[in-house]
Amino acid sequence: MSCLLPFSLTAQQARVSVEPPAEIVAHPGSVLTEPLKIDVQPGFHVNSDKPKDEYVIPLKLTWLSGPLTIESVTYPKPEEIKVGTESLTVFTGNFSIQSRFTVPQQAQPGSSVMTGKLRYQACNNQMCLRPATVEVHVPVVIQ
Amino acid sequence: MKSRLLVAIGAVALLFSCSGPPPSKGPATQSASSQKTAPDFTLKDAEGKDVKLSDYRGKVVLLNFWATWCGPCQLEIPWFIDFEKQYKSQGLEVIGVSMDEDGWKAVKPYIASHKLNYRILLGNDSVTQLYGGVDSLPTTFIIDRQGRISKVHVGLAGRNEYLDEIKSLLGTT
Repeated sequence: MSCLLPFSLTAQQARVSVEPPAEIVAHPGSVLTEPLKIDVQPGFHVNSDKPKDEYVIPLKLTWLSGPLTIESVTYPKPEEIKVGTESLTVFTGNFSIQSRFTVPQQAQPGSSVMTGKLRYQACNNQMCLRPATVEVHVPVVIQ
Repeated sequence: MKSRLLVAIGAVALLFSCSGPPPSKGPATQSASSQKTAPDFTLKDAEGKDVKLSDYRGKVVLLNFWATWCGPCQLEIPWFIDFEKQYKSQGLEVIGVSMDEDGWKAVKPYIASHKLNYRILLGNDSVTQLYGGVDSLPTTFIIDRQGRISKVHVGLAGRNEYLDEIKSLLGTT
């Protein structure tokens, strides 16, 4: 049926773009911090990683697999906005989530990929878009 | 505001493109002769009972797609509670279709804590596709007693806007 469109993810992607590092080059035993850059269209926001309201869907970056060991994921300080009488903690515009990795001492030289997922949900003052999850793939070169 | 209007027009255009001619005017100004019959669906309510939209033929229906995580939706909910109280006896039915992915686990506590007095159904993508995708929440369809879509609101609408439309369709203005 031509009227059935995979609509929601497309709309979310149009308003939120996600840019992982182009490549991580690291040595066994090293520690590195890498940004995941996010750009939210003006007028929209995504919920923070720790929203005040229990029903609100938080921003969450999860690393699923790859050669690096994840130590921590750090989100920026959120803004506080009001929608009606509700106070929300959100991220707007350009911001980065920092991931701190260690490279295992026993890591073998070569190329592989870190895979993660970013879950987010965007709104403006008038409407919300349905939650979206995007996969994040970062090429990793162990030297 | 401009982007909201574009989304609204897009959603309505999609809806009408499925089985009927495109609307001649914007979503807030559909004339009765060009109104499309609201696509029928069957969804379950919180008690697990099947609810069919066409069973409400003869009533004015405010069909609201919403979710517990949607901030603007929360602003409208107290209005809908009032509408249900005030106008149910005159033939209004408010129906909320929740798009929560966590299903009743998320929705039932919300119904209880916010004292929702109108019927809530659990939506799915098959139903939203019938209604043009329902990309944005809240999206609300005002359906007349003949089962035709009278008005579509994509995003937060005004309380009085809803009231005027409901009263007009109920014939109480």
